[in-house]
Amino acid sequence: MTERWFPDEMPDPAVNAETIGWWQEAAAHRLVVQRCGDCRRTRHPPGPICPACRSTVAQWAEVPGTGVVFTYTVVRQAFIGCLADRIPYVVVAVELDGAGGARMVSNLVDIDPADVSIGMPVAVVWEDMGPELAIPRFRPAPTAETAEAGTKGAQR
Amino acid sequence: MTTRGRRAVIVGAATSDYPRLPEMTEHAVHGQAADRALADAGLTLADVDGFASTGFFPMYAIGVAEYLGLHPTYYDETHAGGASFEVLAEHAAYAIEAGAVDVVLITYGSVQLSQMGRRLGTGGGGGAAAFAPGPAIYDALWGNTLVGNYALAARRHMHQFGTTAEQLAAVAVTMREHAHSNPQAQERDPITVEDVLSSRLVADPLHKLDCCVISDGGGACVMTTAERAADLDVTPIYVLGAAHATTHAMNLSSMPDLTVSPAAQCGPLAFRRAGIGPADVDVAQLYDSFTITVVLTVEDLGFCAKGDGGAFVDHGGLGLGGRLPTNTDGGGLSACHPGMRGMFLIVEAVRQLRGEGGVTQVPDAKIAVAHGTGGMLSTGATLVLGTEAP
Repeated sequence: MTERWFPDEMPDPAVNAETIGWWQEAAAHRLVVQRCGDCRRTRHPPGPICPACRSTVAQWAEVPGTGVVFTYTVVRQAFIGCLADRIPYVVVAVELDGAGGARMVSNLVDIDPADVSIGMPVAVVWEDMGPELAIPRFRPAPTAETAEAGTKGAQR
Repeated sequence: MTTRGRRAVIVGAATSDYPRLPEMTEHAVHGQAADRALADAGLTLADVDGFASTGFFPMYAIGVAEYLGLHPTYYDETHAGGASFEVLAEHAAYAIEAGAVDVVLITYGSVQLSQMGRRLGTGGGGGAAAFAPGPAIYDALWGNTLVGNYALAARRHMHQFGTTAEQLAAVAVTMREHAHSNPQAQERDPITVEDVLSSRLVADPLHKLDCCVISDGGGACVMTTAERAADLDVTPIYVLGAAHATTHAMNLSSMPDLTVSPAAQCGPLAFRRAGIGPADVDVAQLYDSFTITVVLTVEDLGFCAKGDGGAFVDHGGLGLGGRLPTNTDGGGLSACHPGMRGMFLIVEAVRQLRGEGGVTQVPDAKIAVAHGTGGMLSTGATLVLGTEAP
């Protein structure tokens, strides 16, 4: 992605104490999920308490950045005004590899919307928005290019 | 719902004018609906000691109470999106049966359609509001929309169970058939499955005609005890059972199973509390924000097995004389959807049980279900209503 996927008018993510760590990892191109420090279950989005065991201890667990499309939609009507020129775009729920079943909503890029299907393998690709912010999206996998993008974080 | 003497009943129910109210404010819609529901019950505001409503800012019900000139000693503004009014009615039933309150007025009002785009000043912001901190951005940041969330569920249901776009479309076709008999309905011209499928895609696989209309409107109901109802010139409608549930808030990624809505929890619970089963239901009013919402709901309430919802709604399954006559006013898909339609479900259920359903009356309807769904399939609330005390 050489130009911004969404226009500059799209608001940046607001963060709080629960989510800032996730975005700091993302800025370094590390895709992470929360792992409970006690029962070891993984969860996403980040939250303050483990839904399974109530522990407040958690770590960021890096995941490979690969996964499969759990479900998807092609947004063809822009209810967010600044995205009017961006439609159609694909929103996916990705079942992340190595994340204990945790799913993440994102975009699927570099694909004709007609070619998307449930179960197709995907890999993360990062859009650098500035020194403190990178946004993970996904593209079809595997190709040599996406394999490199997907493992870049692990090598850092 | 209790063995004690104070059985909760609905004694008044009415909608406001709808679907286009450019000359009315939101409060005025509440007021019109309240006056009609109270008149329907043969009561006045002076009889009301409890009030419930909800809207999109805190202390909303308190503001409406002030507008109506009420000084209630019971109030409730539980917000569960489209399921709110079923929850408020359930709460009111408990409070009435506990002896905490005698007459509860519940009102809803919205001028969502007429307010769209109406703003003073320059607007600005590119049409995108800044994101609130917290987990909600984990879906919103990627441009997912309200329709998109339901589309994700629809696509998953199709994948797992073979549900077809034609089956989803059948829901919209049946709702339009019912709306054709409702002179107030926003859209009344008959449509076919082909019309639905050829309407533009909003978020695959949901077409424009898979989506509810956007309307102005409101409604109200009045609840009291069966004893009090005996002194009124009304057919009391009993709250036989009620329950509500939630599985997640605004993040579809947090929904345990995208094909199972909270109705799977609160539906069976409400039926158990009512002492009846889905097969006993004569008429249903089911939240139809989108066609997929109805398919999930008929499965989760137990009208058919999980995965069989597509076949259940197909071929007029929700029509008069069908497996489960549903949304006899035309529903949110065709009649009126001002944002949180739950009150309309209650009003139409009451009308059917009273035999006031007009052209779309289900003959001899004795038991009705009103089920609201709110948020991103986040909340569900089931009311089981009947003409006779259990």
